[in-house]
Amino acid sequence: MPTIPHALRLSGTEAYNHTAEKRFLMIGERTNVAGSPRFAKFVRAGDLEAAVEVARQQVENGANVIDICFDDGLIDGKEMMGRFLRLLQGEPDVARVPIMVDSSKWEILEEGLKYLQGKGIVNSISLKEGEEAFKSHARHIMRYGAAVVVMAFDENGQAATYEEKIRICERAYRILVDEVGFNPDDIIFDPNILTVATGIEEHNNYALDFINATRWIKQNLPGAKVSGGVSNISFSFRGNNVVREAMHSAFLYHAGLAGMDMGIVNAGMLEVYDEIPKDLLEHVEDVLLNRRPDATERLLDLAESFKGVGGKKIEEDLTWREEPVEKRLEHALLKGIDKYIDEDTEEARVKYERPLKVIEGPLMDGMGVVGDLFGAGKMFLPQVVKSARVMKKAVAWLTPFMEADKAANLAGDIAEIKAKQPELSDEEALKIAERGRSAGRFLIATVKGDVHDIGKNIVGVVLACNGFEVTDMGVMVACDKILAKAKEIGADVIGLSGLITPSLDEMVHVAKEMEREGFTVPLLVGGATTSAAHTAIKIAEHYSGPVVHVLDASRSVPVTTSLLSKDQKEGFAAENRAKQQKLRDNFHGGPKKETLSLAEARAAGPSYDWDSYAPPVPGFLGTEVIPDQSLAELAEYIDWTPFFHAWELRGVWDRQAKVLKTKNAEGAAEAAKLYQEAQEWIARIIAENRFKVSGIYGFFPANADGDDIIVWENEDRATERMRFHSLRQQVKKDSGKPNVALADWVAPGKKADYVGGFVVGIHGADEFAAELEKEHDPYGSIMVKAIADRFAEAFAELLHHRARVRWGYETEAELTHDQLIHENYRGIRPAPGYPAQPDHTEKPLLFDLLDASAATGVTLTESCAMHPGAAVCGLYFSHPECHYFAISELQQDQIEDYAQRKGFTLTEAEKWLGPWLGYSA
Amino acid sequence: MPQADPTSDLQRALAERIFVLDGAMGTTIRTYGLEEKDARGERFAKNEKDLLNNGDILSISRPDVIGDIHKRFYEAGSDICETNTFSATGIAQSEFFVEDPREHGGRKDPEFFQKILENSFLNDLAWEMNVKSSQLCRKWADDIGTDTGRRRYVAGAIGPLTVSLTNSPDANDSAFRVVTFDQVKEAYTRQVRGLIEGGCDILMVETIFDSLNAKAAVVAIQEVFESDGLKLPVIVSAAVGLGGETMISAQKVEALWNAFSHINPLAVGLNCSLGPDLMKPHLEELSACAATHVSCYPNAGLPNPLAPTGFDLEPQHMFEFLSDFAKAGLLNLAGGCCGNTPDHIAAIAKAVANHQPRQVPVVR
Repeated sequence: MPTIPHALRLSGTEAYNHTAEKRFLMIGERTNVAGSPRFAKFVRAGDLEAAVEVARQQVENGANVIDICFDDGLIDGKEMMGRFLRLLQGEPDVARVPIMVDSSKWEILEEGLKYLQGKGIVNSISLKEGEEAFKSHARHIMRYGAAVVVMAFDENGQAATYEEKIRICERAYRILVDEVGFNPDDIIFDPNILTVATGIEEHNNYALDFINATRWIKQNLPGAKVSGGVSNISFSFRGNNVVREAMHSAFLYHAGLAGMDMGIVNAGMLEVYDEIPKDLLEHVEDVLLNRRPDATERLLDLAESFKGVGGKKIEEDLTWREEPVEKRLEHALLKGIDKYIDEDTEEARVKYERPLKVIEGPLMDGMGVVGDLFGAGKMFLPQVVKSARVMKKAVAWLTPFMEADKAANLAGDIAEIKAKQPELSDEEALKIAERGRSAGRFLIATVKGDVHDIGKNIVGVVLACNGFEVTDMGVMVACDKILAKAKEIGADVIGLSGLITPSLDEMVHVAKEMEREGFTVPLLVGGATTSAAHTAIKIAEHYSGPVVHVLDASRSVPVTTSLLSKDQKEGFAAENRAKQQKLRDNFHGGPKKETLSLAEARAAGPSYDWDSYAPPVPGFLGTEVIPDQSLAELAEYIDWTPFFHAWELRGVWDRQAKVLKTKNAEGAAEAAKLYQEAQEWIARIIAENRFKVSGIYGFFPANADGDDIIVWENEDRATERMRFHSLRQQVKKDSGKPNVALADWVAPGKKADYVGGFVVGIHGADEFAAELEKEHDPYGSIMVKAIADRFAEAFAELLHHRARVRWGYETEAELTHDQLIHENYRGIRPAPGYPAQPDHTEKPLLFDLLDASAATGVTLTESCAMHPGAAVCGLYFSHPECHYFAISELQQDQIEDYAQRKGFTLTEAEKWLGPWLGYSA
Repeated sequence: MPQADPTSDLQRALAERIFVLDGAMGTTIRTYGLEEKDARGERFAKNEKDLLNNGDILSISRPDVIGDIHKRFYEAGSDICETNTFSATGIAQSEFFVEDPREHGGRKDPEFFQKILENSFLNDLAWEMNVKSSQLCRKWADDIGTDTGRRRYVAGAIGPLTVSLTNSPDANDSAFRVVTFDQVKEAYTRQVRGLIEGGCDILMVETIFDSLNAKAAVVAIQEVFESDGLKLPVIVSAAVGLGGETMISAQKVEALWNAFSHINPLAVGLNCSLGPDLMKPHLEELSACAATHVSCYPNAGLPNPLAPTGFDLEPQHMFEFLSDFAKAGLLNLAGGCCGNTPDHIAAIAKAVANHQPRQVPVVR
């Protein structure tokens, strides 16, 4: 059985598992107002950006968890805890680590828990207020899913000695584990690190008491961890960082050996144990380990010599600052660092001369990289938002320069406007000029019928950060309201959002309405179900302004910037249009081919020498019914390749070897299994007599009349019985190949020629499938239907073989099964509704001619689909040149002609042939 | 009526085989070609906003359709179907019944949502949706369970809401939130009670795109259990992006497992957002770290508005992918999200039928 080791498992947006091989968990303590005067100063002054920066630095310096504490008389701790943790949620670099919510007030801890999406640590609870409060707090923490620090306090106060420490910790442990049900891996004891070297004798053993208590806890309370506030130990040496750092390191070294798991410690205030000067280390360890009675005095003496020496400084990795300004801006955007953004932006502004060039240049390039990484799943939404916020700062820096630019340009613009429209007043001209120079007004809404809000909000924030004036109309917004608001505010861009499929239709509707109301501003489309292809094919064609699909929030900025940039607008719109045309062409089957008029196409039809050709004569005229074809025989004719395709197994079935020839060995194995299963199903179907097979075929005297095929009453060829109608290829062919229609392969005039027709069907599959579904064998049901389809095809193939023999141009044993399956024979059996004659309404004509429904039980639905589904029908042609082909695109002249021949209205013909029209109806 | 805790039966069955979940509710509803008047019925005929895409309201106005969908999924082989309650909270329903203040330059904020939480029409409606939907699914679970002799379960679906607790829609204040944790928790508390009252067996916090929203749901569930003196199994399931992060709050799967393992869920899993191919690496990661059952119900590929079902993958594709997952020992529960019809579920049921369930790791 797989196992997972016990560990303290925490998380922010990333997991942090404190497994056995991880030695020491670093808790960053600079975001604690009690421990960091600098942080406290920022918070008291309301400079939360600087306070957040402190958090970021701690993570950069390697803190595994950051401790956050606002216990300070001048701070509203509860409010600030919430606010600060919400801010950190928007800081991806910080939010990835677990958070320790630190307070001596329960209500602040309770508040903090509401902002941790991951599993954090509550610091701390204790038995100070008695067992009931302790249990109730522990239960609350458990519901939110956090680890807990338990201070070694009880109703009588703080545990100072070894005995008190272990007694209280054991009691707390038993309550938590046995009564509350707390996971022991999530319990962290803080057995109180108390200050040594105070000059008071009973304090001398405090470090050792802690270390020994730690060892005892680790040995006796399974799962429990030990932590402590390390800087307490050296409190007597305030102002002497060299000594303090040495004390911290030495203490951690010894407590670590005893099993201490973590500590609240300034990562920048730690000397490396091995690098502590020997002399100092010895003095420090004398104090910590209480090795001699005069240890304190000796260390105090030695400490004098280190006073005023700086100690270690927190270092940031600043190598990126040496890069050129463009790279620095990119780095700042990618990492969401705003610390240097003003100076870098200024440097770029000087370099690029015009502020707008900085935005359209390096800043947009940086956002482009953000977009690429996000698109590749390497950056996440909060990071994109954070990048946008840095962008906002850069734009804010540039704004006054742009204003100045604008003022200078405005005068010129006004003159230009007045020259063009002399009737305008100065004020009106100024208004127009200002509009022309504004960064842009963006109207955004989730369309009617759709309530999805959050993704749209993110786009709104990202755009607002980039200097656009964003008006967010919310969700479920009706088209008329969107357009009215757009006019009211003079929107420069309209953005539509939607997450569910029906929203797509609503977007089409908005596009149409925009066109109708004479809008020209760009329309942006985004949301989970939208796509570039859908936008190109279904939306863009209804609106003459630019319609742009925006893949994600990060792309909204470059797109909008380009669309509103004087210089880039035209080029961007043109490129967008070209891309969309390509998508449409791909969808509609490649770039538009050159087409011929119907008259030209007919002229380009094949010309056969009918006089020297003697069409074969069928062995009988009229129809012949095959009432009950043997399934066993049909099984021989099954072409398995399409069967495997239906199961997504690509390749070609080798009948002899019974293997699927494919590059993928697993696929071949799967196919062999599937084939075996299919054989078993076939055996069962035959044994249980599940399927009934029926078919009919026949031959009739026929002649071509233009693109129609006349079927005569009899060999006299005097009275028309009915007509089939064929369609002609209209795409210009450069290879000199003819533009064919099915009618080409029947002799014109009254020369003795014939066509055939057939219908075959497999009955019983639907009933058997339904029965299997009832027995909860849905797979069997799918299998049975798939096999029935194969049987129908096999029967069509077998019957065609018979028909050709009866028609007299093929002999019984002339071809192998393989050749039959690969259609290596003369003659075709095209079906109405397939590429050579895509009009399904030719089916009822065929059925009537054969009286097929009465003979076979196969019927046609209103939309000309066959029932049962496992059925095949078609016409037979015998001409040596006849072959399968596709109609491709039909032009309006042929549709008009065809409608007339069929007695359809133009609309009816267009409806039935919709997908094949080469023009838009 | 509240159900007895089925945990031990479920544990036993899950040790033996891979359970089959259901397919999509939303996209399957769309195949019924319903119109606005179907969603409104007489009762909501005069509502100002359109209700057609308010799928949960169909439990009231067209219970026949919702019942039929449950029936078809159970018949296709689902062991567990989810109630039609993805958005059955006062907060989510407010989108369909209360004017969006942003249409007139206002904003959504905790003050706005406080009014929503005190709106008795929305509260009553959400309650009714949860109770009725739970009853509806219960009926089919019991009917088909009895007919086939195989016990079927009802999972009360608890969706992600249309608001986020970790994201600020205000460009000038990234500490701003439209709604508070306590408000979200309160809305979920009511939903949980309604689902239990209607008789669900399991509570399923799913399509988690913001882990903090989900945490509010999970806290609400535990508070209800504690105060009402009952317990049901809980499943949590996240919607992750390409990098394996919850879509809005960007939490990676192992981090998510760490954040929810304390409730000892019956299963933890992934659903929605991705097709099975893109979901696989994240499922592998989850499977390696989760000391409980793992569930997986991906979309039928990515949305493709030009495909007939709106999604890329057909039943046989889901068959292939989930066979592969099951073979790799990644699954304890499997089903489909958006774009998965009863035919897809039948194929999935077949795919997992012959494979051993993933072995749940023990913490040692």
